Amino acid sequence: MNEQAAFLSDKINAILAGAGSLLPELLLAGFFLLLVTLDLFKYKTLKHLLPWLALTGLFATLVVQILGGYTLGGTNFLDLLLSDGLAQFGGILFSTAGIFTILLSLQNKQLEHLKHGRGEYYGLILLLVLGLNLMAKSVNLLMVFLAIETVSIASYILTLILKDNRRSVEAGLKYILYGSLSTGVMVYGMSFFYGFTGTLNYTTEGFALALVQANGLLVTVAAILVFAGFFFKISAAPFHFWVPDVYRGAPMPVVALFATGPKIAGILVILRFVAPFADSLAFPDVQLFLGIAALATLAIGNFTAVWQKTPRRLMAFSSVSHAGFLLAALLAFGTNYTSGILFYLAVLLFMNFGIFLFLQIAEDDLGVEQLEQLSGLGKAYPYLGVMALLYLLSLTGLPPLAGFIGKLLIFTNIWEAYTLSSNPMLLALLVAGILLTGVALFYYIKIPFYLFLKRNQTEENLVISLSNKLLLALFALPLLLLFFKPDLLLNWIDRLLAQ
Amino acid sequence: MDFILSGLIFSPLLAALAVLLLPARLQQPIKLVAFAGAVAQLVLAILLYLRFDGAAFANGQTGYQFVEKLNWIGFELGSLGRLQIDYFIGVDGISIGLVLLTGIIGVIGVISSWTITKNVKGYFLLYLLLMTSVMGCFLALDFFLFYLFFEFMLLPMYFLIGIWGGPKREYAAIKFFIYTLVGSLFILIVMIGLYTSVIDPTATAAQLDLLQNGVASPDAILQVQQMLQQNVISGSELVRTFSIPAMMEPANFIPGSLLHVLSGSVLWDLPLRFIAFLLLFAGFAIKVPSVPVHTWLPDAHVEAPTPISVLLAAILLKVGGYGLIRIVYPIFPDAGAYFSVLVGGLGVLSIIYGALCALAMNDLKKLIAYSSVSHMGFVLLGLASLTVEGVNGAVYMMFSHGIISAMLFLVVGVIYDRAHNRVILNFRGLASRMPAYTSFVVIAFFASLGLPGFSGFISELMVLLGGFSAPDVTGMLPRWMTVVAVVGLLLSAAYYLWALQRMFFGKYWIFPELRENAVISDLTKREYLMLVPLAILTLLFGIFPHLLLDKMGVTVTGFTELVLQNGQEQLNMVLSSIRK
Repeated sequence: MNEQAAFLSDKINAILAGAGSLLPELLLAGFFLLLVTLDLFKYKTLKHLLPWLALTGLFATLVVQILGGYTLGGTNFLDLLLSDGLAQFGGILFSTAGIFTILLSLQNKQLEHLKHGRGEYYGLILLLVLGLNLMAKSVNLLMVFLAIETVSIASYILTLILKDNRRSVEAGLKYILYGSLSTGVMVYGMSFFYGFTGTLNYTTEGFALALVQANGLLVTVAAILVFAGFFFKISAAPFHFWVPDVYRGAPMPVVALFATGPKIAGILVILRFVAPFADSLAFPDVQLFLGIAALATLAIGNFTAVWQKTPRRLMAFSSVSHAGFLLAALLAFGTNYTSGILFYLAVLLFMNFGIFLFLQIAEDDLGVEQLEQLSGLGKAYPYLGVMALLYLLSLTGLPPLAGFIGKLLIFTNIWEAYTLSSNPMLLALLVAGILLTGVALFYYIKIPFYLFLKRNQTEENLVISLSNKLLLALFALPLLLLFFKPDLLLNWIDRLLAQ
Repeated sequence: MDFILSGLIFSPLLAALAVLLLPARLQQPIKLVAFAGAVAQLVLAILLYLRFDGAAFANGQTGYQFVEKLNWIGFELGSLGRLQIDYFIGVDGISIGLVLLTGIIGVIGVISSWTITKNVKGYFLLYLLLMTSVMGCFLALDFFLFYLFFEFMLLPMYFLIGIWGGPKREYAAIKFFIYTLVGSLFILIVMIGLYTSVIDPTATAAQLDLLQNGVASPDAILQVQQMLQQNVISGSELVRTFSIPAMMEPANFIPGSLLHVLSGSVLWDLPLRFIAFLLLFAGFAIKVPSVPVHTWLPDAHVEAPTPISVLLAAILLKVGGYGLIRIVYPIFPDAGAYFSVLVGGLGVLSIIYGALCALAMNDLKKLIAYSSVSHMGFVLLGLASLTVEGVNGAVYMMFSHGIISAMLFLVVGVIYDRAHNRVILNFRGLASRMPAYTSFVVIAFFASLGLPGFSGFISELMVLLGGFSAPDVTGMLPRWMTVVAVVGLLLSAAYYLWALQRMFFGKYWIFPELRENAVISDLTKREYLMLVPLAILTLLFGIFPHLLLDKMGVTVTGFTELVLQNGQEQLNMVLSSIRK
């Protein structure tokens, strides 16, 4: 009895000692509960306040994350979570993504008609951001699973939030089916790893050492099974089938969040997970699998995007192609590649929210469903058109926008890794990654093509609201700034990682 | 420090900002501001030309004048050391002519654009951005900066063709964009390979505390380079750079990097350096353009409005040839020597194939577009010969073709403005109705086909001289290639004279369906204003070639000798390292 009590009190003390490092998560959880409770009891009087409450919560979290004073370093919470620079930077990106999502939602016309569940909607965004934070901090496979599930469940409901929309319902159903399948496969793979190593803490040295001694073939199989779950979250092939439907059916702010948040978190998880596999001699097959998956994702994303007729599906496959690009970046072991990837993830955030805000304005105010309906809008609304052009050029990776620097850094890492290892897969990824930019230009330029080169059929005199204009600039300016002074962000990332 | 080069780059950009602030309905002020921007650029270019000291070339870096170098982007790459990107611009004998040309054509282009009525603000905004990026390309000495300007040319051009172009403009614009982007992606691959391989000896000396009074002496630089080759500098102290002059010295390559001359790295049985050369060459050959990657050019030219055709032919194509001379050959002289037959062969192919296509064209503008392909072939041929005459001829050709092709496309624009058609067979005997116009057409055609007295003659003569002497002097090209290239001259005489005969001589007649809308009148004052200076310039540089040769000759000669010498030395090193 006494023994048990001592054991329990030890655990509780450990948890309490680590609680400080969970300040951002606690804030998010607190505001989430507050939102849901208020939604339940005071919906009528407070419904216009709810988004602002959620914004406050996210801002508070962001400030805490940027100040970073809570970071204690090392693992805590019974070795489940790690608060390091990587997680801190990830957290900053997630809170920013959450803030952007809410800002987009405030402008969204579809969500205005949402009669009930406003609190749910904003609360779930907080919950999703909370899950993303936990994903970035997890150093235990079980914790990874829990975090991914938190994100997934929030995502399913957010997809389905427009219950009256048939497309939304279809998308939600597909999402849940694919999601539960891939999570199941992932958990199955994780159980293998527990069998090989006797631990779930996958960043420890013991884990890596035990893996080297385990049967190589089985390790490869297990790794592939685990990747299934990760690939689903970052929308990499062959787990990308949900992407076009969800991007088609979900409200635009939610799509923008899906294109950034879970993708960033997934990449961070993979970044931690693949570290033991960096030794190409011990695990050639795992690297080969990652390389092939990256090539396949790049090819599927880019070539399928070419045939799309709606902007939402085009962006869906663009998102797949970016997943492939990030996977390729992960293979640059042996070089100091983390800061390049983090830079690219930050850029991804701004350009994706920019283009989705543009599409939201086009859809809500101008009724654009097909690419063709964008015809002539750039001439009618030059500001809108030019902003869209900036985001798209950044997505393509052309100067003078930050997307170019991001790609340059990642290609540099791959080249360096190739110099060190002479692995032909890296050369293939480098060449494919660069040349597919030509294909990417072909589909991205379709939007400016309709915007500026085609004449418009309808004459509408719509005024784009000042808040929308400001938001468009908010997403575009960092893209220009980070092209001309990328060292501002890179040096900051380096400082965070060096902690 | 002298800021004349920054002035050259940014004067159109300032004008573009002014245009941006003006409301769109003030069309006349917008045009005037654009004109002022272009004139400012021209004035600075002329000043630069006058102040440029043609004899100053020693070798390597000291050949650049009016250099501006500012730290721009710098960050740590962890174990890979530091990365330094500089705002590094300068001018030497290779670029001085092209800078002057850009200034001249910029002003001519604005005058030619005076008749634009559709979305004037947008048009001039893009036009000025284009002028900034072209000038930046010619002045950049940092590969990153060059690439920035190089890529940034595509976008304004895409819109200028795509919005203000002819009936098939959308197709032409996207073809232009995709073609040139793929070319620049090839360049990007090599750029990444180069900057990860090359260090800046001066900045690395600073890291190693080898500076004396804050400057790196030549001895210190030599010491750094020796230490680098002996592999005694730790990775984190290396400062990687995009500087083109640094890339030109093999001593700055990090041992073990794939593009080092002694790396022995091979891909598909070719040294990686050779593959890098081929990629860069492909990238710039698309821009030149050389057969077989020239197919975007006729489409782009036919659909582009007249002023944009002028810019495209007169200065944008030159960026391709300039890139070959500034970047490809000096950085990979070994591969340049190895592949001279390929480069020269493509040059000759472009000359002959371009001329034959021109001969077959019904559309006057297409004829001229193909004649551009044919003439740019001479640039490749001259460069491949690696003789002093040949390379001088190639550089001179770029300047001269810039002036002449601008005139040619303006001349086509004149008839198109009047008849809204430019099919050769629809016109006959125009000389009787448009005598002044006809005389300018004759001048342009004769200048282009290489009549002595015009600048085209000088450049073709030098290229051919270089080509003929190459087998004996540098051992580069087989003699038959130059012989075939001479046939190209004959062909160009054929297509020009034939077109002249069909359109301008005989009894006046135009195709009946065109008569309703056609107002066949002679040149206006505005057209004189564009054509007269160009005609004078081509004569001037044809009769007094030393006006330009004095400025560029010493640099180009020194450059050629350096490339040839380094090329042969490094070729031996590369080949021996892969045999090991």
